[in-house]
Parts: sequence; structure tokens; C-alpha cells
Amino acid sequence: MRSLLDKLYLVSGYLSGFCIVLITTIITAQIVGRLFGFIVPSAEDFSGYALAAATFFGLAYTFRQGGHIRVTLVIQHWTRGSRYIQELIVLLFALFLVSFMSFYSVHMVWESYIFEEVSSGYVSIPIWMPQVPVALGIVMLNIAILDDVIALLKRKSPSYRVHEGELHLEEI
Amino acid sequence: MDTTIIGISLAVFMLLMLALGVWVSLALFGVGVLGLLLSGNDQIGLLFATSTWGASTSWSLTALPLFIWMGEVLFRTRLSEDLFKGLSPWLSGLPGKLLHVNVLSCGIFAAVSGSSAATAATIGRMTLPELKAQGYSDRMAVGTLAGSGTLGLLIPPSIILIVYGVAAEVSIGRLFIAGALPGLLLVSLFMGYTIIWALLNKDELPKHDKEHVSFAAKLKALRLLLPIMGLIGFVLGSIYGGLTTPTEAAALGVVGALFLAAVTGSLDMSSFGESLTGAVKSSCMIGMILAGAHFLTLAMGFLGIPRALAEGIGQLSLSPGVLLIYLTVLFVALGCFLDGISVVVLTVAVVLPMVQQAGIDLLWFGIYIVLVVEMSQITPPVGFNLFVIQSLTGKNILYVARAALPFFLLILFAVILIYLFPEIVTYLPMSMSQR
Repeated sequence: MRSLLDKLYLVSGYLSGFCIVLITTIITAQIVGRLFGFIVPSAEDFSGYALAAATFFGLAYTFRQGGHIRVTLVIQHWTRGSRYIQELIVLLFALFLVSFMSFYSVHMVWESYIFEEVSSGYVSIPIWMPQVPVALGIVMLNIAILDDVIALLKRKSPSYRVHEGELHLEEI
Repeated sequence: MDTTIIGISLAVFMLLMLALGVWVSLALFGVGVLGLLLSGNDQIGLLFATSTWGASTSWSLTALPLFIWMGEVLFRTRLSEDLFKGLSPWLSGLPGKLLHVNVLSCGIFAAVSGSSAATAATIGRMTLPELKAQGYSDRMAVGTLAGSGTLGLLIPPSIILIVYGVAAEVSIGRLFIAGALPGLLLVSLFMGYTIIWALLNKDELPKHDKEHVSFAAKLKALRLLLPIMGLIGFVLGSIYGGLTTPTEAAALGVVGALFLAAVTGSLDMSSFGESLTGAVKSSCMIGMILAGAHFLTLAMGFLGIPRALAEGIGQLSLSPGVLLIYLTVLFVALGCFLDGISVVVLTVAVVLPMVQQAGIDLLWFGIYIVLVVEMSQITPPVGFNLFVIQSLTGKNILYVARAALPFFLLILFAVILIYLFPEIVTYLPMSMSQR
């Protein structure tokens, strides 16, 4: 179970990275195309979809890596006991909110599928297709949060705390 | 319920969650949900889904992961070393010598990496020991590092300007161009201050005589700088000239950065993978915050809070100047515990209608807010950058804060300058080719 979950998070991260490469490729192809006189159909739509996929596939991975920023200024000097309660509250709040978000993002895909919505661009595709990564990503984040709630209840340190305090590029 | 009470309780809820360590993006969503609940809306889930889907597929936002990836690739090349070696011979004639290298290499490095903290850490690790060994004043070394680390927020390609542009619906290309002159202004202020300081405090500089650097050596050093200057110049030039959109410039920037890394031999499978996962983490974090901010803006719109605020301010008939003073204080206070991006998105959700009401240009406001955020990063004694440098140097936080204070005041001076002469911001975007 443990190794399966870790693989899931890693794969989601890789998928996200793949989507960023995809965006780069689509847009570069568009530029090259302009020089040589061919058009990449619906390039703006497709790179937009790839962007959404990159963002949401990356959620769980980023969460585990402590990449989502939060304010630690207040809580960093608390005692172990109060930190335990604080992390539990925060994680339970996140679990509640993200479960809500999961439900409605899956619901969104389902509705797009039922009502056969299509994208409005030059190449029109069923809109549920690019929406699937969004729903999947949020559901995986949900799993990652649940994973850490269980870890915390077993008195283990949550995954994201391992990497907190390291200096990342994203800390503006 | 009264809008005022709802507004205040939402603000309190937000601060409480943030202080407790809830992730910023989730806090934004949480306040949005609560706000819609309070307004008696029963379509919250559907609103969440459509708003999030719309916010995360936006075309102009595609520039974000690409510029971040470009930064991550360059971050793993020998960029910082090349900057140091390439700049030193050119600046050896100025009073203060190596201190200027600190300023300029921080500025350039921050522009491509898009992060003031990472810049201070990377450049500082290299220049601080060197400055110390040569006998420069410790305080000035730390101060130039803290101050210039923030430069990157303004010098394009700036991540925070993309975030503002997307959230406030202002053209990102124009924002980039608008940031160029204020960025140069800041660099000249920093360097000018360093020159004056060096002339006044000769005893705190290395004693040894003027070493003459031959022109050939300078040219050789220039070779180290050319690739990176070329890349920045190309990205900016193509946007200014109307040849590419920011997103296209970003894609070309990634290709260029990968090419540079390959040529200099710092590109292999593992560094490629690391740069990509680094980009995933940053762009995913920022993308989620933007989606949360979009949802919160929507909820705020339902509650009518921004409108009520704008009307309230309208009735007070504050002059734009007074309003900006209040806002500056607010942003600096927020910036003491929040990062720049969160400050920007929170602001856009609530403050923007008020700013428009006061007749302030949104393009100008974007540059203003970035300058203020820069300032807040080194606000004594709690700015975020100060903590980074504290951990880097092992010095007391008050010492670091005091060293950074002149640079804090210089940024404040720059804010006053762009208020008095808004053309510094608006001239270039007005003259750029339309696309």
C-alpha cells in the first residue's frame, strides 16, 4: 500500500512535468509554424488544457513535497503538543474542503459528459476529456491529505513537513 | 447580514486560517466557500467547478510554468558563477567595486530565477565569502545582497507580474515592458547609493591600489555574460517589438535556456528532471493560488464587498495619494508574513474596484504593488528576505535589518518617484507596438 501510494504521487508529478513539456512543444511549434506558414490548430486551447492538467496533476506531488506555501511564522515556535493539535486541525480542515472540491470536480466532468459539451475552438473536442485531469488531480490531492491525516494519527510526521524549511525557488 | 459584519468576519477567518498554517491556496478557497454560504448561495459547488476550470485554462497564464521552467534550467547552469566572473572586470573602476557585482548579479539572477529569496541565497553563498576575504564592509555586503535580491520581482520576466496580470486582467506584455524602466531606476538608485557610500567610507573598503584591468580581459569576461544578457534581451525585445506574445517568448526562453545548458555541459537527464520537477512544484503552487483567488473574487463579487469598499472610499473622497499611502502601509504589513504572490492575489480580490474608483491606472498600479511587495520583503525587522540572509550569514536579525534599511528607504524613494512621475511606468508601454 505504502509503495503503491508513493508511486501514485510520483507518477502524478511526472504527468504534470510532461504537460509542461507539452505546452512548450505546442507553443514552439506554433512559432515555427508561423515562420514556415503552417498553423497549429487550436494551439491556444490545447496549451490551456495542458496548463490545467499540469497544475492539477501536480497537486498531490507538490503537497507531499511541501511545495504549497503556508505561513509558518506563528506556529514554528509552538511546543510539540500544540503543534500536533494544530496540524490535525489544519489537515482535517483541508480534508473536508478538498473532499468537497473533489466531489464537485468529478461532478463537473460527469455533467460535461452527459450534456455532450464540446469546446468552441477551431478543433472541437468533448470538453470532459481535458477536464478529467483536473478531477483526477484533485482526487489525488484528497488521497494525499487523507494519507497524512492517518500518518499524523499514528503519531508520524506529515510528509510535507519533511521538506519545509528547505529553501525552494518558489519562495518569492 | 450586514456587508460590513460579513466582511470583517471573513477577514478574521482568513487571518486565523493563515496564521494557523493552512495552505494559502486552500485558505482562499475556504474563505470563498464561507462567503458564499453567508450570502445564502446554494450553487457553491458548481460555482467552484466552473470558476476553477475557467481560471486554470487561461491562455495568458501559460507563460507562467514556462518562465518558471526557464528559471529552473538556468538555475542549474553555472549562471551565478559566470555572472560574478563576467561582471567583476567591468565594475572594477567604480567606487565600491565588488559591491556593484553583488547588486547587478543579484538583479540579473533574480530576473531569470524569479525569486528574491533563492537569489539572495545563491548569489550570497558565492559573493559574501569573496567580499569578506577582500576586506569589504560586512554590513554593506549584507545590505546590497538583501536589497538587490528583491530586484528580480520587477525585472522581467517577472512571475509576480504574470500573477498580477492574470488576476487583474491587465496585459502581461505591457506589464513586462512597464516594469523595465522602474527596474533600471532601482538598479541605478542602488548603485548610486553604493558609489556615494564608497566615497564617504573609504576606510571600510579594501586598501589595495587600483588594479588595471586590460580591455582584452574585459572582452573575455563579456563572453561569459553574453548568453544570459542575450536571452533576457531577446525575451523583452520580442515582446516590446510585438514579435511574440509573452507566452511565446517564454517558450523560446525555455528552448534557449535548454540550449545554453546543453552547450555549457550542465544538461543531463538528472538535471533536466530536477528542473522539471522544480517547475512543477512552483507552477502548481502558484496555479492553485490563482484558482483560489479567482474563486474568492467571485464570492466577494456575490457579497458585494469590493463594491461597498469602493463606494465607502468614494464617499470619503480621499485623494489617490492618500489612498496609496494607506494601501502601502497595508501591503507592507501583509508582506511581513505573506509572500508576494499571496499579497497580490488577496489584494486583487478586494482592493481593485476601490483603486479603479480612485482613478488609478491598473497598469501603473501593477508596478506600484510589485515595488511595495519588494519593499515588504526587506521591511525591518520581519521581511522574508531578511530571514533568508540571516540563516545564510548567521548574523543577528537586527544586524541584517539595519544593513538592509538604506535599501528599504531607496525602494520607498522609487515608489514616491513613480507616483510623482507616472511616465516612468507608462512611457514604454504607450510607445510599444500593439499586437
